[in-house]
Formats: sequence, structure tokens, C-alpha cells
Amino acid sequence: MNSVFLIAKKEILIALRQKVIRALAIVIMVLLSVALYAGYVAYDQQKEVIENARKEKREEWLTQGDKHPHIAAHYGTFIFKPKTILSLFDFGLDTFTGTSVYLEAHYQHEFMFRPAQDHSSMIRFGELSAALVLQILVPLLLIFLAFPAFTKERESGTLKLLISQGVSCTTIVWGKIVAYLSILLSILAPFFVIAFILSTMLANSETIPDIAVRVVLLVIIYVVYLLIFVAFSVWVSMRSSTSKNALLTLLTCWILFMIIIPKTTANFGESMYPLPSMKIYREAIQKDIKSGLDGKASTSFRQNQLKKEYLQQYAVDSIHKLPLNFEGVRMQAGEDYGNKVYDVHWARLKKIFDNQNRIASLSSFITPYLAIRNLSMGLTATDLYTSIHFQKKTENYRRELVRKMNNDMAQNSRYGEFYEYKAGKNLWNSIKEFEYTTMSVYEIVSLYKTELISLCCWAVLIFSLLGYSSRKIRPVYE
Amino acid sequence: MLEAIDLTKRYGDFTALQSLNLTINEGEIFCLLGANGAGKSTTINLFLNFIGATSGSAKINDLDVTKHARETKQLLSYIPENLMLYKNLTGLENLQFFCGLGGKHQSKGELEELLEQSGLQTDFINRRVDNYSKGMRQKVGIALARARGSKVLLLDEPTSGLDPKASNEFSELLLSMKEKGVATLMATHDLFRAKDTGTHIGIMKEGRLLEKFESQEVSFRDLEKLYLKHMHN
Repeated sequence: MNSVFLIAKKEILIALRQKVIRALAIVIMVLLSVALYAGYVAYDQQKEVIENARKEKREEWLTQGDKHPHIAAHYGTFIFKPKTILSLFDFGLDTFTGTSVYLEAHYQHEFMFRPAQDHSSMIRFGELSAALVLQILVPLLLIFLAFPAFTKERESGTLKLLISQGVSCTTIVWGKIVAYLSILLSILAPFFVIAFILSTMLANSETIPDIAVRVVLLVIIYVVYLLIFVAFSVWVSMRSSTSKNALLTLLTCWILFMIIIPKTTANFGESMYPLPSMKIYREAIQKDIKSGLDGKASTSFRQNQLKKEYLQQYAVDSIHKLPLNFEGVRMQAGEDYGNKVYDVHWARLKKIFDNQNRIASLSSFITPYLAIRNLSMGLTATDLYTSIHFQKKTENYRRELVRKMNNDMAQNSRYGEFYEYKAGKNLWNSIKEFEYTTMSVYEIVSLYKTELISLCCWAVLIFSLLGYSSRKIRPVYE
Repeated sequence: MLEAIDLTKRYGDFTALQSLNLTINEGEIFCLLGANGAGKSTTINLFLNFIGATSGSAKINDLDVTKHARETKQLLSYIPENLMLYKNLTGLENLQFFCGLGGKHQSKGELEELLEQSGLQTDFINRRVDNYSKGMRQKVGIALARARGSKVLLLDEPTSGLDPKASNEFSELLLSMKEKGVATLMATHDLFRAKDTGTHIGIMKEGRLLEKFESQEVSFRDLEKLYLKHMHN
């Protein structure tokens, strides 16, 4: 063990005396600081904008004045997706999924105000977030740091001298891994501490434990991910005949892992499980609402059936004689059927998303980058699952809002009476303000089991290869 | 101390070393002479367990170097033709590092003294090795062997490329270690240095040890004639 630390100490000393390494470390630190600051500014600005808009829209809803409930249901309201604190670290899909949705009767509107709309096409290459720096650029730093780990020792002849001291190759390997990891952690530790302090400062006291758990998990998975790259770089260096070959191999792998495989698997997922266009999706929903899911129960048929049921239930011969406003009942029934149709189509769409996600998850066995990218987005609540979770909550809220409006109309107005009946503040106040809580850490982790397993598999694979190769290595070629 | 028993190394059809039998006792300096490819470096690499023997065995202090790789390496020091140290570290830092690896922790003062005793100029001790000449690096190698208290020295053409003064200083250091009972195996092309420093001389050609004798038995001129005779045959 002592030899491991001696080798690590020597490696650190040598790395610190190399201008290139010092420069790269400074670049990474600057990039991380800039990314974190940019994330903080974006979070702070959006939070303020969202908070102001939320208050304004709530006030508008409450002070909309007396009007018919169905008009209020169409007047609707806006819901804003709260920015999660850790999104300052990883923007995830927030840039693309939109920040607000308009809720009204009969329609499930799309999310609006996607930040990506305000950016140039360069946004497709990713925004500078701290997560991007850690996922893509830090591995590049590690490659530049570790590619000559063994080849340089062999080329310069110091490997012979090292081994002639009775040091095993396994000890040398561990010494180098400890050194590179120490250098890396000394660069990243201040960043993680600042990120944690910033997050807890911005959070309210109730959410601090949840954020702490998420930050700890983020630190663990990022350390494992970067450890995989350290070990992989050392392994490639061990197996390469020259430093040049080692660097070329590692850079090729970096391009494969970070660019080619993620893009290819995303395209593969899209072509295997294509999504319908929004137009086709909407038209299919409208068609099923109009003709019925089975193609037989049209809107007028369903309305006649409902009328019959109510007349029978209340033993009357006219809807005018019903003790409630049948128009409200009809509207709610139409709403319920529309929701049913929407749920069927959404389930189909969700299945396509799930299949695409499954391919993305399984692809993490081909590149560890996809594993860390998905896990990081999940833990910072900027992923697709969180977006879908939020969408589901807003849809439930919309349904509840419309149901209350229709029920009020049915209970408190008479058939044929429309503009005459007006609801007031009491009804608007009965609609509680929308509140959103993200999924728990446990729920998130359970959604990303594949990524966690793949990260572990990568670590086991790389360390097994290192163990095997270090037993075979000789300081001179035979 | 050092023993080769029918030590053989083959690479496919090519025989790099054929049935070498050799014993080097404490306080002996055995110089292996021979042209390039004669098997000198192969012999040293086999004793270092850098390469595996095809047959036979190499022993240090009665321990097989393959079976007791770690223990035998604790007993030896190795100085190659061009001792490469870590360029970004000073001579003293290199010495501290390699001594530490061998489990010999000595104070900075002791190591500085050893470097001075090994002939390294005082003002170079704390300079980075990339400013060192080859001779200076070889002196750090000797200081390392001394600091480790090595019982065995394996030297692969250590004076090759050194100027006569540096070469002479190196020989002096070897002789002082010989006095302390260190067994040395040195591969060299330098007949003069072999005769002057070695206690025993062996002539190798095409993987075979053709002849071995005590250096006192021959004059420098006879050694030269003998060497050339074997090389021309």
C-alpha cells in the first residue's frame, strides 16, 4: 500500500510540474465555474419570471369576476413548471420541454416557451452546463493526463527501473489511478462544495435533505464515471506500444463514446420506434372522440344514451324536469370521454417513449456516457420521466378544474340557462393552486436501474481488464 | 549469490541464450563481453525476471527469480546502459522515490550525502534530472544501489557513452561496492574496463558463454587477442 501512495505522490508531483496539465486543469476549473454561474443565473432569472407569472395568473383566475363556469373553464389558467434547484448543475431536457402549459376545457395543450426556441441551432450541440463539462470535457482531460501512464515509462526506460525495485505492475497501476483520481478530485471537490452550498442556500428547509441525498448520489456516480475513464486510460496506455498509439486510441474511443454512439443509438431508437407527428396525433384523438374508440359510439349516440340514462334514473320524460342542469352533465360526460380517448392515445405515445428510452438505457452498456447523462438528468429532475410526471400532474389538475366547473354548472343552474347563470369568487377559490413536487429520489433511482447496473458493469469490466493485463505486462517486449 | 543453471532463452527458432551456467559470489565482479546480440542483456533481463526463461533457472541468493520475484528484487540494483530517471524530479527526489519503493526510508541529509559520495556535484542534487548528463544519472543509480544496501548489482553496459573520467569514476564506485561484498554482473563492450574492474570475465557469442576466467589470469593484450579470436571464428 505504501508503494501505491509513493507512486501516486510521484505522479502528482510530475503532473503538477507539467505546464500542459496545469493549463488543462485551469481550463476545466474555469469552465466549471462559468457553467455553474451560468446555471445559477439561468435558474435565478427563470425562477423569478416563473414566480411572477404564477402569481399573476393565479390573481387573474381569482379576480376574473362573475361568469358562467364553462366560460371560466375555457378562460382557463396557466401552469408553470418550477425550476428544480439542481437544474443549475444539469439543464437536462428543460431547454426543450417547455416551461408552461395553458389549461382549459376539452384540450390538452402543448407545453410552451421552450428555452431552445430562443437559441440558435447550435443549441443542438448542447449548452455549457457543469454536467456537460463533467460528462464530456473532464474525460478528455483525463485522457491527456493518463495516456502516457505506461507508455512513457516504457519508452523512457523508467518502467524497468520501477519493476527492478520489486514493485508489481498492479501496484504501479493503482498508484497511477490513485494519483489521477486525486488530481481530479482536487479540481472537482471545490466545485461540488460550492454547488452544494449554492443549492442548499436556494432551497427551502424542507427540501434540503432531498437535495443533500441527490447531491451525494451525483457525487458518487460522477466519481465512478470518471474513475472508469481513469482506469480505461491507464489500461489503454498499458496495452499500447507507444504514447502516440495510446493517445490516438483514447481519442478515438472518446469520439465513439461521446458523439458517435449516442447519436447512432438515438437515431436507431427513433427509427425503431417512430413517434407520430403532432398533427396526426391530435387528429387521431379528435377522430376517436367524434366516432368513439370502437368507431361505433359517436358523440351524438353517446349523448342520446346519457340522456336516456338520466331520464330513466330520475323517472322524468324531459331533461327540463331534471333536478340538475343536464348541459353540465353532458359537458362533463364529454370531458370524461375525451379524457378516456386521450389516455388511450397517450398510453400509446408513452409506450413509444418508453421503448426509445429503453434503447437509450441499454445503450449505456455500449458507452458509459449515456449512463451518466441519464442518471444525472434524473437526479437533477430535468429528465423526460420528470417532464412526463409533471405533465401528468398538470393534466390531473386540468381535469379536476373542469370537473368542478361542470359540476357547479350542473348543480346550480338550470337547463337552457347559460349566460344567465354566473359563478363567483367562491368557486374560483375552491380551485386550489397547483403545486408540484418532483418524484422522490427512490422513485428516480428505480427508473434508472439499467444505467446504474451498466455503470457498475463498466467499472467491473475495466478493473478486471486492468487486473488481467497488469499480471501479463513485462517491462521489455519478448 | 548469483547463479545461472542451464539458463536458456529462445524466441521461436532463435536462441538468445543457450544453457548458461554461471556463479558469481560475494565481492566478485563478473564482466560479460561480447558483440551485440551475444546474449549479455538477455542474461541480465533473465536475472531481473523481465523475461521468462525457456528452460533452466536463474537464482539470486539461492532463490529462483521467477518464483521469488519480489524477494530477489529486494536484493538487487539494476543500472542499464542509459539509466532513465524521472526528468521532472530532481536527483534527490528520484533517489527518495526509488528508495521508498524498496522500503528503505532514509533522511534527506543521508541521501544527499550518498549522492555526494557517489560523485554527484552538490549543486546538481536539487536540480531536475533533465539537466543531468548520462554520467550523472549513472551516479544516481549507484547512490540508489548504496542506499538500498543491495547485495547484487546488475549492470547492462553502464559505462557505454561515458567519457573516460566519468567511466573511471564509475569503476571506482564499483570497486568500492565490491569491497563491501556486493556481487556484480556487468555486461560490457569495454575490454579495458572489464580487465581493470572485473574479478572474472566471460566471453559470449551467439547466446553461448564460450569462455570464462579470472581477470588476473590474462593481460589486457591477451584478453584483446582472445576476444578477437572468438569474434572472428
